[in-house]
Parts: sequence; C-alpha cells; structure tokens
Amino acid sequence: MAVNLDRRRINAPSGGTLAPVFARTVKEPGYLQSLRPSRTRGPNEPRQIFLQTGIVPSASGSAYLEIPSASSPSKSTLIPPTSSLKIAASVQGPKPLPRSASFSPSLLLTTTVKFAPFATRHRRGYIRDSTERDLGVHVETALRGVMIGERWPKSGVEVVVTVLEGDENGWWGDVEGNGTGNGGGWGLLNVLAGCITVASAAIVDAGIDCVDMVSGGVAAIIRNPEAKDAKEKVMRILDPCPAEHQEIVAACAVGYLASRDEITEIWVKGDVGTDPDGLIEGATHAAVGSLSVLKEVLLEALEAKFQTQSADANGGLKRKQQDVQMTG
Amino acid sequence: MALPSIALPGTLLGPADKYLPGPGTHIHASQIYASIAGPVVSSKPSPAAPASTSTSKTAKAPKPLPLLSISRPAPADDNALGIIGNSGGGGTTILPEISSEVLGRITRLSPRFASLDILVVNSSVCREPFQGMIRREDVRLTEKDKVKIEESFRVGDLVRGVVISLGDQSNYYVSTGSNEFGVVMARSEAGNTMFPVSWREFGDPRTGGRERRKVAKPF
Repeated sequence: MAVNLDRRRINAPSGGTLAPVFARTVKEPGYLQSLRPSRTRGPNEPRQIFLQTGIVPSASGSAYLEIPSASSPSKSTLIPPTSSLKIAASVQGPKPLPRSASFSPSLLLTTTVKFAPFATRHRRGYIRDSTERDLGVHVETALRGVMIGERWPKSGVEVVVTVLEGDENGWWGDVEGNGTGNGGGWGLLNVLAGCITVASAAIVDAGIDCVDMVSGGVAAIIRNPEAKDAKEKVMRILDPCPAEHQEIVAACAVGYLASRDEITEIWVKGDVGTDPDGLIEGATHAAVGSLSVLKEVLLEALEAKFQTQSADANGGLKRKQQDVQMTG
Repeated sequence: MALPSIALPGTLLGPADKYLPGPGTHIHASQIYASIAGPVVSSKPSPAAPASTSTSKTAKAPKPLPLLSISRPAPADDNALGIIGNSGGGGTTILPEISSEVLGRITRLSPRFASLDILVVNSSVCREPFQGMIRREDVRLTEKDKVKIEESFRVGDLVRGVVISLGDQSNYYVSTGSNEFGVVMARSEAGNTMFPVSWREFGDPRTGGRERRKVAKPF
C-alpha cells in the first residue's frame, strides 16, 4: 500500500474507514453469529443481475452491471450483511494507433481494470496495484478469444473496467471477530466474472466484430459443517456470495462462449478435489445464466437504437425502454 | 429456415452454401454466424457482382446466393445531446480501407510528401482523425516526375482523395491521382477563401491573385 501511495493527492487514512461496530458484538458471543447472512436461494440459482448498455455517451460502447445485495439490510447494525457488485465498463475505439506504435495487422486490445478507492472494505489506492493488473490480464484473455481482430487493422481498442463495488472475500464478522477472515480472495472471482460479462456487453455495444458473446460465471465448492445431511456437507453451488458461506473450499470463474461451447478464460482457486470438471461445468452454467440477461439487454438496446426502422416494420409493437431485471 | 430479424454476435444465420457472408458476419464450421449486433439484411446481389466473386459456387447453384449482412446503426446525429440510454455505441466506427474516398486537411508539407489528417471516410465523420500521407508520385497521374508538393498543396487545404494502401505503421497512403480528387477548399495567403480557376490554379476573389494547387474538379 505504501508503495502505491500517490503523493500528489490527498490520501485517505491508511487504516481505512469502517462503519462503527457496536460493543454488543464483542460482549455477546452469540450475537455476532446471529447477524451472519445465509444463502436463501437454491444451490443452482444465481443472483439477480442488473445490466444496461450505453451509459457513457462519449465512449463508443459502454455497459453497467450490478448484482444487488440479496439480503435485506439489518436494522441492528450499520454494516450491510453482504456486499453488492457494481461494475462499469467503457470501450474507446477502434481508433488509430499512436505514432510510436508499430504496424499491427489486427486490432490491439488494451484492458484496464481499476477498483474505485472506495470499492472494497479495505481502501484501494489511486494507482493500479498487482491485483488489478492481474484481473486486467484475465479479462483481456477472455475478450481476446471472441474478438475478430483482423477486421480492424492498424487500430487499437481500449476497454476500461471500473469496479465501483467489489464482492468481498468473506463476511465482515469473520474479519472483525477472529482477525483471520476467510483468507482466500474469493470475491475476486466474482469480480472477474462480472468484469467479463460487462466488458462483453460494452464491446457488443461498440459494434466490434465478435465470434460470439462471452459471459462470466462462478461456481464454488463449499463446506457446511452444520448440515445434517452428508450430501450437504460439501456441495457445489453456482454464483457464490462469499459472505454467505463460512468455508469455501474451491471456486472457479470462467469466460464462456455459450453457442460455441468454448471457454476463453478460466481461473480456479482452492482445493478442487477429485472433480475439477464438475466445478468448471458449474461455472459455465452460471455463465449461461448471465448470458441470458446479456442477450435480453442487448436486444432491448438494439430495439431502441433501431426504433424508427422497427416501428415501420412491425406497426404498433413498441416496447418501452425499461430496465431489465431478471434472474439468470 | 427463417432468418432472425435481429441478431447478436454468435447468432446462427444460415448455412454457408445457401447464403453469402456479408459485412458483420463470419463463417464457422460452414455456417454463417452474426458477428455484430443489429438487424439482419438479406439482399439479392446484383447479377454482375456474384459472378465474379464466387464463380465456383455459382457453378453448383445456378441462382445467385442472397447476401447476408448485419447493418450497423446509422451515424448518431440526434444522439449528440448525450442522452443516457441508447446513445453510447451509436456512432459508427469506420476505418479507412483501400479505395475508400476520404476528406482530409493538410497538416505538413515536405518535398517528398504531404501529411494530412483524414477527417471523413466514405461520407461518415471519424471520431478522431487518422494520419494520412500523399506521396509526391501519388499527387496526379501524369507527369509524375515534375510534381512539386509545394505547388500542389498548402497546410490547411481540404483535400479529397482515395486510400490506396493501409501504408506503414502510422500513415494511410492517399492518392489524388484523378480529376475529381485534389484540393476542394483552400485559403489564399491573404486568408481569403479561393475559387478554382483551372485544374492547377485557385484564384483569390479579393486580391485577384492566383495560387497553384492540385485542384479537384468541381461537381
């Protein structure tokens, strides 16, 4: 953190800022655990997604994705039980390469992922750190596989992804309580999947040739020690919200092309065990879920774009442009 | 098989032996798929065009194959206000291609070439200018060895030309080697807008002076 300190700006306190934690959580051991959120949806049911394209007028393509927090805010504490995921992506170009760049017969893709300083519970710097650069490389690999770069010679395109709120790695109570937290950086996988989906929407919005639409999905293997059923002790779930699970054993994020049945990007973390294929397959199922939202949103945006033409074609059939909110 | 009215990237449009792939589509495993989002247009190609492009295919199918293409959204003119919703991505991103007609402004002269900023490609305005270059031998078709760049262009002239090559790392090569290509608008040294006098001269209406240019034939 100290390495990335930007001296030209007014920096936030290095320790970060937190919503107040009341004394009751420390005094009553059971009380803190009673605040723990739990997964209310089924193991194969992803969270709801909000997606909209065309949010940045100056960019050639842009999109915004939000996975709202499923749990209702509790009345007894100021800290929201689970985080929500909010990502904006914009596409600049295709535009001519800078003078210094060498000749390129195909499109040059540059992907930048940046967390907003306020995106996570631990404050981020203004300069990209290694996690963000790593995520950028992952998103770039996912997008590179779908774009038909040969159609845009001598030009470059920039995909800028800003994470306004990232999924956290575990429940805040675990971090506060025993100091260790969940460790693993599980939230990053959700952020990656969200970045892939939203960047894909922005690229389609920009009208850059793609062989298919890529979408991101996450699956995880969780351990649930309290479950009575032996089958539920270790189980596979789609779209995990790390705060809702006490122990995540393994997780996998993919960038998936549904109609071609191809994977352009894969990131597996943790102890996968004997069945890695099952986990990857679960992630592709989650990706298909977000793809259905992606398709619906893009079709709606297209209809709005070609409103004049479609109005002539199908008479009175006019759908009002409204937000699409649906489960994947 | 009925064609979908609107396609997204990856939408199956039809088999490659029934249709020809047009702009905005691609072929994968001998099937035509969409590669951009937009309405699907199936057009009967003009009788002359497919005969030359697909002689081997027309031998099998006597009828010319319909051309499938995805149309891009029209240039965003009413979206200039920046209304959030459907404006982003409305602009057509168009790259100069070989034989596309361009309008540009001369930015720099040298004895061997003139540099220009390409502002308009095929009557659509670019989001940002492309670097172009008119080499001395591409200024006109005749007497190429006697061409002098400083007697053909001046910095600030608006030039109509045609792209002849994607060029090197930074420049598109533009040619004005035709009657209708050359300087379309120029200002004199006094700063007045001039009118074309002949194929090689512009006249200043105020001072009456003449300046030499490679003049585009007025319509």
